[in-house]
Amino acid sequence: MASLLSSPFTLPASKADQLSSISQKHYFLHSFLPRRARVQSPAKSPVSVRCAVVGNGLFTQTTPEVRRIVPDGDRNLPTVKIVYVVLEAQYQSSLSEAVLALNKNRRYASFEVVGYLVEELRDENTYKTFCKDLEDANIFIGSLIFVEELALKVKAAVEKERDRLDAVLVFPSMPEVMRLNKLGSFSMSQLGQSKSPFFQLFKKKKSSAGFADSMLKLVRTLPKVLKYLPSDKAQDARLYILSLQFWLGGSPDNLQNFLKMISGSYVPVLKGTKVEYSDPVLFLDSGIWHPLAPCMYDDVKEYLNWYGARKDANEKLKGPDAPIIGLVLQRSHIVTGDDSHYVAVIMELEARGAKVIPIFAGGLDFSGPVEKFLIDPVTKKPMINSVISLTGFALVGGPARQDHPRAVEALMKLDVPYLVALPLVFQTTEEWLNSTLGLHPIQVALQVALPELDGGMEPIVFAGRDPRTGKSHALHKRVEQLCTRAIRWAELKRKSKVEKRLAITVFSFPPDKGNVGTAAYLNVFASIFSVLKDLQRDGYHVEGLPEKAEDLIEDVLHDKEAQFSSPNLNVVYKMGIREYQKLTPYAMALEENWGKPPGNLNSDGENLLVYGKQYGNIFIGVQPTFGYEGDPMRLLFSKSASPHHGFAAYYSFVEKIFKADAVLHFGTHGSLEFMPGKQVGMSDVCYPDSLIGNIPNVYYYAANNPSEATIAKRRSYANTISYLTPPAENAGLYKGLKQLSELISSYQSLKDTGRGPQIVSSIISTARQCNLDKDVELPEEGEEISAKERDLVVGKVYSKIMEIESRLLPCGLHVIGEPPSAMEAVATLVNIAALDRPEDGISSLPSILAETVGRKIEDVYRGSDKGILKDVELLRQITEASRGAISAFVERTINKKGQVVDVADKLTSILGFGINEPWIQYMSDTKFYRADREKLRVLFEFLGECLKLVVADNELGSLKQALAGKYVEPGPGGDPIRNPKVLPTGKNIHALDPQAIPTTAAMQSAKIVVDRLIERQKADNGGKYPETVALVLWGTDNIKTYGESLAQVLWMIGVRPVADTFGRVNRVEPVSLEELGRPRIDVVVNCSGVFRDLFINQMNLLDRAVKMVAELDEPEDQNYVRKHALEQAKALGIEVREAATRVFSNASGSYSSNINLAVENSSWNDEKQLQDMYLSRKSFAFDSDAPGAGMTEKRKVFEMALSSADATFQNLDSSEISLTDVSHYFDSDPTNLVQNLRKDGKKPSAYIADTTTANAQVRTLSETVRLDARTKLLNPKWYEGMMSSGYEGVREIEKRLTNTVGWSATSGQVDNWVYEEANSTFIQDEEMLNRLMNKNPNSFRKLVQTFLEANGRGYWETSEQNIEKLRQLYSEVEDKIEGIDR
Amino acid sequence: MATNSIHSLPHRHRHRHSSPNYHLNPPPSTAGFLKPVTATLKTSLSSSSTTVTTYSLSPTSPSSSSSTTTAAAAAAAAASTSEPATALDALRNHLSSKDYRQADEETRRLLIVLAGEAAVKRGYVFFSEVQFISESDLKAIDCLWREHSGGKFGYSVQKKIWEKANKDFTTFFIKVGWMKKLDTEVEQYNYRAFPTEFTWELTDETPEGHLPLTNALRGTRLLNSILNHPAFKDTDEVVAEEEEDSDNSSKSRDSGSKPLSNRLFKPNYSF
Repeated sequence: MASLLSSPFTLPASKADQLSSISQKHYFLHSFLPRRARVQSPAKSPVSVRCAVVGNGLFTQTTPEVRRIVPDGDRNLPTVKIVYVVLEAQYQSSLSEAVLALNKNRRYASFEVVGYLVEELRDENTYKTFCKDLEDANIFIGSLIFVEELALKVKAAVEKERDRLDAVLVFPSMPEVMRLNKLGSFSMSQLGQSKSPFFQLFKKKKSSAGFADSMLKLVRTLPKVLKYLPSDKAQDARLYILSLQFWLGGSPDNLQNFLKMISGSYVPVLKGTKVEYSDPVLFLDSGIWHPLAPCMYDDVKEYLNWYGARKDANEKLKGPDAPIIGLVLQRSHIVTGDDSHYVAVIMELEARGAKVIPIFAGGLDFSGPVEKFLIDPVTKKPMINSVISLTGFALVGGPARQDHPRAVEALMKLDVPYLVALPLVFQTTEEWLNSTLGLHPIQVALQVALPELDGGMEPIVFAGRDPRTGKSHALHKRVEQLCTRAIRWAELKRKSKVEKRLAITVFSFPPDKGNVGTAAYLNVFASIFSVLKDLQRDGYHVEGLPEKAEDLIEDVLHDKEAQFSSPNLNVVYKMGIREYQKLTPYAMALEENWGKPPGNLNSDGENLLVYGKQYGNIFIGVQPTFGYEGDPMRLLFSKSASPHHGFAAYYSFVEKIFKADAVLHFGTHGSLEFMPGKQVGMSDVCYPDSLIGNIPNVYYYAANNPSEATIAKRRSYANTISYLTPPAENAGLYKGLKQLSELISSYQSLKDTGRGPQIVSSIISTARQCNLDKDVELPEEGEEISAKERDLVVGKVYSKIMEIESRLLPCGLHVIGEPPSAMEAVATLVNIAALDRPEDGISSLPSILAETVGRKIEDVYRGSDKGILKDVELLRQITEASRGAISAFVERTINKKGQVVDVADKLTSILGFGINEPWIQYMSDTKFYRADREKLRVLFEFLGECLKLVVADNELGSLKQALAGKYVEPGPGGDPIRNPKVLPTGKNIHALDPQAIPTTAAMQSAKIVVDRLIERQKADNGGKYPETVALVLWGTDNIKTYGESLAQVLWMIGVRPVADTFGRVNRVEPVSLEELGRPRIDVVVNCSGVFRDLFINQMNLLDRAVKMVAELDEPEDQNYVRKHALEQAKALGIEVREAATRVFSNASGSYSSNINLAVENSSWNDEKQLQDMYLSRKSFAFDSDAPGAGMTEKRKVFEMALSSADATFQNLDSSEISLTDVSHYFDSDPTNLVQNLRKDGKKPSAYIADTTTANAQVRTLSETVRLDARTKLLNPKWYEGMMSSGYEGVREIEKRLTNTVGWSATSGQVDNWVYEEANSTFIQDEEMLNRLMNKNPNSFRKLVQTFLEANGRGYWETSEQNIEKLRQLYSEVEDKIEGIDR
Repeated sequence: MATNSIHSLPHRHRHRHSSPNYHLNPPPSTAGFLKPVTATLKTSLSSSSTTVTTYSLSPTSPSSSSSTTTAAAAAAAAASTSEPATALDALRNHLSSKDYRQADEETRRLLIVLAGEAAVKRGYVFFSEVQFISESDLKAIDCLWREHSGGKFGYSVQKKIWEKANKDFTTFFIKVGWMKKLDTEVEQYNYRAFPTEFTWELTDETPEGHLPLTNALRGTRLLNSILNHPAFKDTDEVVAEEEEDSDNSSKSRDSGSKPLSNRLFKPNYSF
């Protein structure tokens, strides 16, 4: 649709060119980036090559010139010049038509008009033209200017000309811009201060979308009121209201009369002339619209009557069996006549046999119309089977201020699947197609992230925008995809349970038979078993289900001890090549990477194999893997390789042969949503979209992983349903650590007797045995030490022990539908109680207890950290009392079966008289008996609510709702300890408004962590400030903490975020050096691929912050960012601004450094290779000066920046995910890499911030690895918990060891004793060894292999005897698996 | 809902572009489907019943009825009487003077007019209105195109290509040259801009089926209905009938007893 005029991307290619590009099949690296212009003869391409790549570097290359209408210059008529800026391109054609018509009439005046789309003002030249246009303009019109950066630009430009302009009209926009309004004596400059009702609208912060709605209400009522006011006074205000009515009426006729009215009344040359105009033609504010209908309807019954009498429609469409789809449309598209894309959707749906009820509203609140038109007023049942919002906006609030609770309330009533598709707004079709990012980040924030908070699904871009006319047009394939999917969702509502077919898909990471059914924290097969049982009870056709979950595993794996790659995994379908190609329209495209089908993955050489097993209408299938895990070359080079044939065949099978009504992806997470394609806003050639086809996708996802869940929502259209992570328990103490704790307690009672020194020396030697000497400085054995020093040594060991003991660890694996028992939830509640929640007026339990003994909890924490024995002991007592009080409370709220009974009732009875309160009773025996009762009561009421939520079970319920085509209530994902709203699980997980972070609170916490980090680094490094810190930003982390780590980066370089009127963060300002009190520290930010997808606006913000700081005129020793940027600019011969590039990530559509895959599959030669992988995959920068260019490779700057790093740094945000739980952390760790890049070859310090507990800590990486090993891998409580999950448990143990090797590989921060202890725990213990081998031989083999690998790669030195035993075991288990020895 | 047949249409004057440098879309017809608030409430009930008025070749037209079968009967009658079609003169003229650009415009105009008054008011054809267009009319148009393009243009030509493409519109659009390849590493196509990026001459390079153009501004359902129209059920028959229609063009000049609205509309086919 893009014309050549406005789109420099496309040079007219000759036939030969096209052919050559088609034939270029060697493109293994696969991205959407406009290909660098090939060498062309200059005669052929007059457009400069540089431009052809990224144009102006912005998101849109359109120019306002297509909107400029210059009258042909009638000499006798005065000229009126109008300049407008709008968000809604749909006004363009309507306004142009109005002006052309006016000019044709040649009465009164000639009109000159030029329009700008807000987004275009980013371009400097366009902005200049805009300012210039304003210089001789008579009238300025603005509408829906809600993007702060641009709003400020508009304000600056118009303000200069405001007095000279004859009229300034701004319709709903940010207050800054609204204040520009001027119509004679009418002005809004007082906006926000005046008491008049008109201005009060803008003040109501709380009333969310109320703003636009009350504005509309005013529009309706005010004219009546104004009639009775003295005309001259009210005239200007009246004309403003009329203007708004004309504008909202949007048709060319209305706009014509609007222009007549304004120019006639305010343009001085026309003052004498009487310019006639008609009153605005008003359309319904909300109603039902159909392109064929003779009118708009205000009543759904009337609409349906008309529908039933339609002559063009066939009986089937009108009949009662047709699915009915509701559509939510924006009124402005209808009244301005820019409705082609709406018509396309209506036609597509009707052609597919679905009835439509398209409703529209003019305001920003659609909740009312949804209830009014889509819910039967009598039965209260929905009149539709599914609903698509084509507006792209949140249901309530549009681009302004949203009210999600209200939206959710309306949608709960409606109770049908709610899809939110979107038209392109800021980009033209071609710009979107060319962009690797896909959808414009602002549109992602407004029209993808916000609707998600309402529970909106399937952000499909269904309409493009024509660069010349600004009009929307259908994207035919996208419209098909959207409509089929909406109908499929609707079918779920209509079909009976017994006929519904469900494809349960499990994952296998890494591809090994021992790994089938991997999902974070989930016992997958036990969960599937419980889901199937439940579905069967519910009436689904489940047939041949075995007795036990174990047998289910056996069924699917067929032969548990066989190789994954052998066809011994149960084959449910063999797909011939012809059939595969017929069913998979995009099969050809995969050949570029994988050759002709079938290839060697999921294949027997002739057919493609689908693994799994069918039980009646339920199919359990194994999702194929990426396929390149074991291929080091691909891991190194592929920016993003396409799915392989086996992968495609799997989804073709599910959709077209098994004919699934829905697919259920089981657990966190698979590879579908990480397949190459745009980040957000898939096009026809994006793989996640092609693969999922038109199957409704339901996805069980861990509640603590909202970021990746969001990727699944956006890229594979998943309705995510959260599940709980297993209940956490305190790590406790074992073996030597337990002895130590006993010794310490005897020291405390006996220290003043003569036995003190003796006990201390046993403590010291035991601590050595436990390898605590790396964490605590221990005196040499036999060394004489003073009593005071003894206390300090004991205190430090004690503090370390306590740290280990109180660490939370998830025990075992969660099973869907099995919530924790109340007593299992105690540890979680203790942690919930440990956080102050000032916003809710809740004090933490530790702080209440500390107060009782006259201390502040922060001081106790600090003292304990330092190893002051008294404080360590006090903290232990506080911790113990907290646990005791909460256990006492929980015990009282449960019945004999251990179920939580109505907490509210219990509480009232409990909260009777002080002495009866269980926690008071408990504490009466401790030193905290005088604790503040009122504060405790408030806290325990809150804990009671949390308890109810923790044990509530809605995971199965929500699944059944989703499968029944109902609405699944949305809820935030995150850490239940920080944010109990995450509970109960079973919600459609969403992230947060990306523009809302970092919050002020996050900034506050960030400062503490940064200060501690710097303090620590100075202490370890001779008092010198680190010049550069290399750190990682995670998506989930920032969601859970509302942007703490983002704020850390800001604070390091010394800037602070500035929020706009709506509380959105789009700007930063520098903090002065005086206030900062230290140099600005340079950063190298490595954003995870997920962070990039979710928070591209924040990447933009960071990049702007870095560039701003680099350009500050400050001494280099006070501003390391500037210092380094200057050096780099000189070395690379580039501008300082360009050198100040510090925000890196993967290329668009690609995730992780792949080091994790290499390590998991042992497919790497040396560390150098891993580092190359890191550099080649992570060196893509986001440039705020050319945001539209997407992620651009800037490896040189990346290497240079990393080479100045003195420290590397990551955050741990919640207790259930620590360093060795997942492979992501080591995957992104650059410690060894930095050492290689540094000129002095010095290893940087590596730190981990731990904000999982109230007492935030910055530890070195090696401390953290040790802590992790002690609390998990080596802790009987942990591994026994895992072993009880059987098959999956063995895998968890193996995975943890592999991740530990990963840390050795990327950072070298794993102590030898960790491997040694692991070896004695799992290998030397014969009984343990046999258990592991029997439960999951494949994973056990991997475990043995990993030990050998750790030794072979030089990370573990051990006796030859140990190695010999491992070798022997390896061949033993290999034989067993291969069936030789059976 | 009224539909027309070619043979009842008065001759239309040369279609002209409204503005040389500015291309506009038809305004939404305010009278048609956007009523003022007050009017809506009053008219909404009464407007729920519609009649189908069809016009055909036969001198006895217009026939007014409420069922589509009559339309079909009329169409059948039209085919049998094989009366001449004045309304096709413009198209024929454009085509014979190789003015494919104007012929293309005229074809879309005809389609809209044939689909009925509602379509004319609206400015575009809704896919479900295609059934009201008679077989003979569509065939007549198609024949003219094929005849004047050496068999390269026309709906029936497009239908063959479309079927070869397994009825996949993207493949079809690429084949007939309505989409262009983008210069990205992944093979992608975008719609061509109307009118500059289309080919308005008949050369060896011109893709088969390139004209007439049915834009995809509103998706592919309209084109789908046209290609599935009974008129193109069997392309061989069309070939047989094409001569007849084009020969007898002069007689129907006075056949349409009621002049049909020939509103000026300026459709935007920025395909």
